[in-house]
Amino acid sequence: MRVELLYYPECPSHERALELLQEALEAEGVAAPIEVIRIETQAEAEAHRFIGSPTIRIEGIEVDPHPELPYRLTCRTFVHEDGRLSPLPSLPMLRQVIRQAKEVCNDGDGNRSFGL
Amino acid sequence: MAMEIGHSAYDFSLPGVDGKTYSLQDFADKPVLVLFFWCNHCPYVKAYEDRVIALAKEFGDRVAFVAINSNDPEQYPEDSFEKMKERAQEKGYPFPYLFDATQSVAHAYQATRTPEFFVFDEERELKYHGRFDDNWEHPDQVKQEFVRDAILALLNNEVPHYSQTPPIGCTIKWKV
Repeated sequence: MRVELLYYPECPSHERALELLQEALEAEGVAAPIEVIRIETQAEAEAHRFIGSPTIRIEGIEVDPHPELPYRLTCRTFVHEDGRLSPLPSLPMLRQVIRQAKEVCNDGDGNRSFGL
Repeated sequence: MAMEIGHSAYDFSLPGVDGKTYSLQDFADKPVLVLFFWCNHCPYVKAYEDRVIALAKEFGDRVAFVAINSNDPEQYPEDSFEKMKERAQEKGYPFPYLFDATQSVAHAYQATRTPEFFVFDEERELKYHGRFDDNWEHPDQVKQEFVRDAILALLNNEVPHYSQTPPIGCTIKWKV
């Protein structure tokens, strides 16, 4: 399973985002490595389809996607289940995308290409 | 390099979302001034928004709260003056929300982030600079309320326990 964490270093949320992502992967029983990608220029933001920090993709599925937003160097806002606005996704948001990604990874025979 | 503690507040003349133009003189009747750099788009501002509104309402009769947005609206359209008006109305901001279109005020105060707080005493000398409190993520787990503590100290003619903390939030979006 491909797990990507893209971040803009001027936004202070990425360290906590990495912790949350590790926690979510562990909770879902996924031991995939996390690819951490630093985004520092507008050109990199556009190349990586980066709308803000942190951007998390699991098997290409983005956590809280917003295709309407421009690619840019900034912090992004996540709306939590309780309506709270936060610089970080919630654990349930992350776990839901991991579960979606598991379906993508399923090879059709009940075997999965990930695991502890 | 941040503005030094003890430095005098810089004056300004900035338009507010209420149609008025504000300068330091407009807040001269209050013994404490809380000036903070703010914007619409930053999630850290959003995380703190309700806390700042509550504090401004609590101390509004004795403390002047002033929010300033210095972000470049060309790059960040959510931070345009029109969007500022909408946000202030939507949330019922109990403080003036000013637009620093030239970014000169942010430069003068050496501000770097949103949100970033500057608390001045009656002489308009800086007594506290930094973050609002020690937990942006969980309001119910805050242990140190830096801005509130600074306000209370100054209202009691005392020196705030903390004078500087590192601001946490988005960088101010400078014009290129």
